[in-house]
Amino acid sequence: MKNFTYHQPTTIAATLPLLDAEWGKTELLAGGTDLLDRQKEYVSQPEKVVSLTGINGPFREISSMPGAAGGPPEVTIGAGVKLISLAESSLLGAYPALASAAAQIAGPQIRNMGTLGGSLCQRNRCWFFRDEHVKCLLKGGRKCYAQDGENEFHAIFTQGHACVIVNPSTLAPPLIALSAIAEIMGPKGKREVAVEKMYQAPVKDTQREHTLAPNEVLVAVRIAPKVPAGGALHNASYEVKQRQTCEWPLIQASVAFHTERGGKVAKGVRVVLGHVAPTPLLSESAARALEGKEVTEAVASAAGEAACEGAKPLSGNAYKVQLLKVAVKRAALLAAGAKPYWEG
Amino acid sequence: MAEGWPKKRRLLGTKVKRLDGPAKATGRAKYSYDINRSGMLHGAILRSPYAHAKIKSIDTSAAKKTPGFKALVMILPPRDWLVVKADGDELELKSVPSKKKKEKEEQRSVKVTGGVTILRKNKVVKLADLKADDQVQVEVEQDVVGRELFYAGDEIAAVAADTEEHAKDALRAIRIEFEQLDHIVIEDEVLKNPKKKTTPGPLAGNLDETIKDMTRGDIEAGFKDAEATVEGTYGVPAISHQCLETHGLVAEWDADGGLTVWCSTQATVSTAAGLAGRFGVPPKQVKCITHFMGGGFGSKFGPDVQGFAAADLARRAGAAVKIMLDREEEITSAGNRPSATGTVKIGGKKDGTITAFAVDCYGTPGYIGGATINLGLMPYVYNDAVANMKRSHKVAYTNTGSARAMRAPGHPQNCVLTEFAVDDLAAKLGIDPLIIRRKNLPPNNPKVTDKIAWMARRNDIYNEQLDIAVKLSGWKEKWHPPGKKGGTVKHGIGMALHTWGGFAAGGTTPNECHVFISKDGTATAETSTQDLGTAQRTVTAIVVAEILGLMPTDVIVKLGESLYGFSSGSGGSTTCPSQAPAALFAAQAAREDLFKKVAPKLQADPKDLVIEAGKVVDTKNKKEWLWKEFCARLGMDEAKGKGEWSLALSNEADNANISSGQVGGVQTAEVLVDTETGVVRATHFVAVQDCGLVVDRLTCESQVAGGVIMGINYGLFEQNIFDKWTGRQVNPDMEFYKLGGIRDMPKITVHLQDMPERGVIGVGEPPTISTAAAIGNAVFNALGVRVPFLPISPRRVLDALANGGKQ
Repeated sequence: MKNFTYHQPTTIAATLPLLDAEWGKTELLAGGTDLLDRQKEYVSQPEKVVSLTGINGPFREISSMPGAAGGPPEVTIGAGVKLISLAESSLLGAYPALASAAAQIAGPQIRNMGTLGGSLCQRNRCWFFRDEHVKCLLKGGRKCYAQDGENEFHAIFTQGHACVIVNPSTLAPPLIALSAIAEIMGPKGKREVAVEKMYQAPVKDTQREHTLAPNEVLVAVRIAPKVPAGGALHNASYEVKQRQTCEWPLIQASVAFHTERGGKVAKGVRVVLGHVAPTPLLSESAARALEGKEVTEAVASAAGEAACEGAKPLSGNAYKVQLLKVAVKRAALLAAGAKPYWEG
Repeated sequence: MAEGWPKKRRLLGTKVKRLDGPAKATGRAKYSYDINRSGMLHGAILRSPYAHAKIKSIDTSAAKKTPGFKALVMILPPRDWLVVKADGDELELKSVPSKKKKEKEEQRSVKVTGGVTILRKNKVVKLADLKADDQVQVEVEQDVVGRELFYAGDEIAAVAADTEEHAKDALRAIRIEFEQLDHIVIEDEVLKNPKKKTTPGPLAGNLDETIKDMTRGDIEAGFKDAEATVEGTYGVPAISHQCLETHGLVAEWDADGGLTVWCSTQATVSTAAGLAGRFGVPPKQVKCITHFMGGGFGSKFGPDVQGFAAADLARRAGAAVKIMLDREEEITSAGNRPSATGTVKIGGKKDGTITAFAVDCYGTPGYIGGATINLGLMPYVYNDAVANMKRSHKVAYTNTGSARAMRAPGHPQNCVLTEFAVDDLAAKLGIDPLIIRRKNLPPNNPKVTDKIAWMARRNDIYNEQLDIAVKLSGWKEKWHPPGKKGGTVKHGIGMALHTWGGFAAGGTTPNECHVFISKDGTATAETSTQDLGTAQRTVTAIVVAEILGLMPTDVIVKLGESLYGFSSGSGGSTTCPSQAPAALFAAQAAREDLFKKVAPKLQADPKDLVIEAGKVVDTKNKKEWLWKEFCARLGMDEAKGKGEWSLALSNEADNANISSGQVGGVQTAEVLVDTETGVVRATHFVAVQDCGLVVDRLTCESQVAGGVIMGINYGLFEQNIFDKWTGRQVNPDMEFYKLGGIRDMPKITVHLQDMPERGVIGVGEPPTISTAAAIGNAVFNALGVRVPFLPISPRRVLDALANGGKQ
């Protein structure tokens, strides 16, 4: 890899001045499971690496406060929290959509190194982007090679996207389903943004998969879904993977909704689709199919169908449309507490 | 007649733990990757980024100024010259007179500038040091200009620097202008445009159609005779060996002009010989050390490009050089199992008789190579039972790395093409595929006089294996007509058969093993053979311990050094059947030598002495001595014995019970297929393997289970994926080149079909052959729809379900 200077500040405040106003020369290091690979493969060649590993305190902690009106707890997760902690923390019991997604990421080695912030801000896994010798749009080239090249793992919602990567984060969909808020520190202080607003479809080398400025740091994510008094939160994620070990999902769906006291119908439904587009997709049509209904297999199936509306697969990934249909259906049923019909 | 294997076996065939297991598990075992020599440099190889290109120009000047740079070599064929005249900066050369006389003498004049390196006796020399008739090697960097590169990964140059990072920096500083040429990386593209030429060799295009069709009987009559006929197109992709330890080595020259390499190889002796030849070093002055090895699977014979490059860099830099390929290089450039796609037409009768079999297939071995299947063995296993057949094969050359032998070359491809068709025929006939298999097993040959031989009893062996597999898999209860009724997740069970050789190694020189007994009772076995992970170290210890009345842990096994006598490369499952007998005879000879040397001191006759566990017994005088007590009488002497074994020796009369070959095997696969997602889960596999005399039951079972695991990966996950436009492999990694992990693996039931009367047979390769075919048939059984191409990914399952199995 190219030589770089290494900084390990111990506070966020000390981190910010080390960052540049533009992408390219400086990279933030969290767990390192993505950045180090990119550096070794010369896909990223920063001159300066600013490590967040020296920052302790809330940045590395999960904290929980009682939720409003007896609803689920308000949980704040530091961006430096390891994936393994997300998978195992008792504080996330109300949020299986998130905890189960964290538990399924890669293997134990990655989960013990990778962090929440890293998962949300990592670069995409497109095999053309990751190949030093292919100069694609995101590396300043003039062409997306996946549009007509090998694209079986690429986007199926491709309208208007010059680059057809899928956002690789498996934690973004459940967080968006749970209406999570990202806390971001920058030169002008702290700002908050809904996690779904944190993403964009990049088309050039001066852009990232997220909307954070190059001199900003994601410090925490806060989950506080609104559930009426006496109501209950329901949420789940479902992933389709070819392998059961160390594997990226082919498709992911996260579903969250609440029921009112004694009620059975889904309200405030949010359905998020992962690994289908350059950003995590909040599917309004799928949510509409569930909203105000009791989540039966038929209703869940209809939501799956609705989620696929507008899908426009590439030459080699039409199969992902079927997977999406199924993943949404199964996530909805899991959220509703149904017995998984797909397990023997 | 040889004494042979003991009739009463104390250790042979029992479960013995791998002797080096703890060393491997704790990291104490030093693999080639772990070797670090004083002052050692790191090498790296510059490769073509393009699938097909020509080098227009090269400039290495910047590279040579990078920090830590030490040496650079061009990947070119070496050439020895004789100095005619060295004058100013002009060097006049003539070729070394050829032994074949017929070659014309060549002359060359070289202007010696910065890009020219002159080597004499493996040392860099200056022009001024040369005198007429000196034999030299001369590398002119600019000679690479004009070189055609045939795949993305083709080697161009190598550098050595003080650190890995500096070596890569130096490589990146080499400036090359390429002329990009048209490429083809997908075999179907070759078929569409067969005359287009993008690969080397004498063909007019990229498609070799010269392989002769093989026919037998009357194919038309055979199909006419059939009560049902099916035709399908099936295929397997090119896959990578994916050795966990990548290819590579450390090379170090000594002050006397000798060369030592610590090389990850499955052939220490031929690797050393290859280096000796290339660098003009006496063979005994080249030592190849492979104490531990992280897998080869057929891809690690000989020094290889990186081996020559490392030794070349080391002689120029005057320091040891390490080159271990990275994962991308390992996958793109260190060999692959070639692809095969075939249209198979098969006809048969309701009683299961196959009346006709026709296959028309093609595959790619990469940019060079040959056939990708064993046409003569088609239809696989059932060949000798089928009367009418027509077989044809084309080779489609593509701009991808060249194939190398991989664990049973040709057989897994044969097996898939045959066994898929067999099950499809059974479905069409409406019969259990078990019936069709039993009906078409190769017949026993009554003319074979040796009744223990494979040919005399293969039909019985297969039938017995089928009985065992049926019982262990619960086939009778679990098999159902193709297409499990109801449910989202469907159960399926499938079966496939295989065959392999597993004889001792051929060749003119036998494999050697040497056993030494010291006065302290220590037994040491020395052999140059390598332990690829197959437990050859443990096998050697078991054999020696069995003969000397010791425990395997008592025996010191020194292996994996080329100077410990001859051994052949570990290919064709020949290692155990070559080396176990060599160890046997070495131990027996050492024992005889011990008796001869000690008996007189104990007033015993050597012929009255026998060894029992831990002691030596004088059967005549009813006396006995503890082993150590007996050995102590060696005094200043030592006892030793040499053992040799080869295919030729095994073929001598009465030797078939020492080692032999030809095995069969039956595997069943059970799967659960999620029909909504196309995800296939392997649940229970049964592997029945004929294996002759088992030496170590534990590691033999492990070998079979490992073969099944490799086959599951072939069936469900693995594929080299090339992008048509960029010409590059998009998955030269372990992220999208998929290998299953522990949660993907089923319960594996291994049954070793002991036949000790057949002697030792190698089973490294056979147990991986039929697994993928069995998985494909299990998926067919679950769905009632054929998923015709491996790997059986969610995409392929869903595609097959969507079109109802139509192709």
